Amino acid sequence: MASSSKTSAPTTTAPPPSATPSPASSFRQSPWVRWGAPLLLVVGLAVLPLIGTESANDTLARIGVFAVAVLGLNVVMGYTGQVSLGQIFFLGLGAYVTAYGVQSGWNIVLVFVLTCLIPAVAGLLVALAAARLGGLAIAMVTIALPIVGVPLAKRLSEFTGGSQGMSARFVEAPEGSGLYDDQWQLYLVLVIGGIVFLLTYFLVRGKYGRAFAIVKGNENVASSMGISPYRYKVLAFTIASLIGGVSGFLYMVVVQYTSPETMSFGHSIELLVAMVIGGAGSIVGSILGGVFYVVVPDLTNAIDPSLTALLQGALLLAVLFVLPGGLVSLPRAVMRGLRRSPAGRGSAAPPTTPSSTTGSGTAAEPTETERQGSA
Amino acid sequence: MEKFVQLVVDGLSTGSVYAALALAIVLVHSATGLINFAQGGMAVLAAYVAWVLTNQGVPLVLAIVASILFSFVLGAVIERFLMRRFERGDPDTAVVVTVGLLTLVTGIAGWLWGYNNQQFPSLFPLDTVSVLGVSVSIRSIGTTLVIVVAMVATQALFVGTKLGLALRAVAINPQSAAYSGLPVERLLMVGWGIAAVLGAVAGALVAPQLTLTPGMLDNALVYALAAVILGGLTSPVGVVIAAWLIGVLENLAAVYVGFIGFDLKVAVPFILIFVVLIVRPQGLFGRKTVVRV
Repeated sequence: MASSSKTSAPTTTAPPPSATPSPASSFRQSPWVRWGAPLLLVVGLAVLPLIGTESANDTLARIGVFAVAVLGLNVVMGYTGQVSLGQIFFLGLGAYVTAYGVQSGWNIVLVFVLTCLIPAVAGLLVALAAARLGGLAIAMVTIALPIVGVPLAKRLSEFTGGSQGMSARFVEAPEGSGLYDDQWQLYLVLVIGGIVFLLTYFLVRGKYGRAFAIVKGNENVASSMGISPYRYKVLAFTIASLIGGVSGFLYMVVVQYTSPETMSFGHSIELLVAMVIGGAGSIVGSILGGVFYVVVPDLTNAIDPSLTALLQGALLLAVLFVLPGGLVSLPRAVMRGLRRSPAGRGSAAPPTTPSSTTGSGTAAEPTETERQGSA
Repeated sequence: MEKFVQLVVDGLSTGSVYAALALAIVLVHSATGLINFAQGGMAVLAAYVAWVLTNQGVPLVLAIVASILFSFVLGAVIERFLMRRFERGDPDTAVVVTVGLLTLVTGIAGWLWGYNNQQFPSLFPLDTVSVLGVSVSIRSIGTTLVIVVAMVATQALFVGTKLGLALRAVAINPQSAAYSGLPVERLLMVGWGIAAVLGAVAGALVAPQLTLTPGMLDNALVYALAAVILGGLTSPVGVVIAAWLIGVLENLAAVYVGFIGFDLKVAVPFILIFVVLIVRPQGLFGRKTVVRV
């Protein structure tokens, strides 16, 4: 968590005018914290599965699954600015590929590779056509993926088991490890999900991430710099599909069952809601999105199952109104509010937090503030 | 042959429903530059209002008129209190807002009236009449006619009245419109209201066939968006023609193309889109927009 902001701190355009360098930032830059915090995180995650109850482990594992799915959506939407309403389709596709491969008795490594490749190719094909249209057309085309996907999955019943769905048990704790199945599953999710998060982190901070950010900010500027918006949109969408496929594999690891319902339109919308509420264009936001996706339905179901959709819609709109950066921007917004109020300036929280884009190295145009937006 | 004609007429009728929804989307887009993914959800809410009224013993036509008035107010209120804040900002954010609105509206309908299918009374009898020796259903003809009338009325409003002139001025250039003394903000509310009315008409006409559920128009929204892409966002006529084309083609494909069948006919518009996009990215009738840098 600390890592996303600490490396950007020195590169930001000097301290903000009103604020003196806070003790917190110098604390974060000390080498002990720089190396200690990630180490502590890794150790914590390694111990985590051993101490939780079975249901806690299951919830954590599901959070991991959907955090990966939200991360994929973030690559295309949060970082590249292309609204996709079809991410759940790639999760479903990945889950079906895994289930089919396992049922056919293929090697699990081969199954995993196929689970990455097939959704990526499907995403590539969709993006090649959809990205030809400017602006919102990608949203209008991708909304069709779950809506076509569900009847398609029912139809191709020799591969998908039709409406019955498919189950595949293939994750059992190895003999002699002394682990329970749920602990082993959580370890798998943590390791595979962790690798995906790490790779995505490097992707969005590197050359490609900067290209994505410029495509998001202004396509004409991007083309004038020799960055083809079309190619980078297709690339982002393909990567998002690939990550979606991996999340489908993890879904089968944890849930061990998939049906056409897995990729329903409602779930696709929920994924988008989770991404925006967690924080668009943010790695930590993806994890928060995964938490939101898993925990909130559990909570609302406890209150009243028929309220789930209503609450999700209302929460999404409320977040867009008061906290467009998502939950991940909450600490920063609170800090700013605290810093401002004694100065007597109105506490109307400005909607944008430009400093969060500096992470991707595009702080060059301070006038473009709404680019950071929440989409 | 007779089956073919029936399929075409039925296709035109469902195509009209998509066309009304698609026109509403184009209307909102031309006024505020955003795609309203909640257009279908708002129409479903209007259909529920009509359904509640008919259950109270109100005659169906009056109930539908009341639901249309309700939609006009709903559209205007949503524009004023929800969308206005996001209209000048990032269009992607505005789209997410409408998606949130769709979730919210669907959630409200599901919370108030449940997720079970409800029977909605039909405005037209279910009989068939014989036209040139081919029997076609009255409902299909009636649905098509009502929506054509609604669309012609909308067009007349835009072309023939002062209000329409003002709405067009706002759509073309809100700033100049404001300088010439037009109440831009109120006109935007009216634009959203009219779009919601078109959606409500479509909802009331299609509800008997689909049976009323909170997600009733999700598929229709997808078809409408497909029609918008095919016809081109800048061309209302093109959008209507595309919607009819989609309605007819998907009906024919469902019957004559073995693999597609009734369950997969929702894929037809997207196969069409993929073909068209490769050839004409601006849509069948749209103009290429040129942006000055």
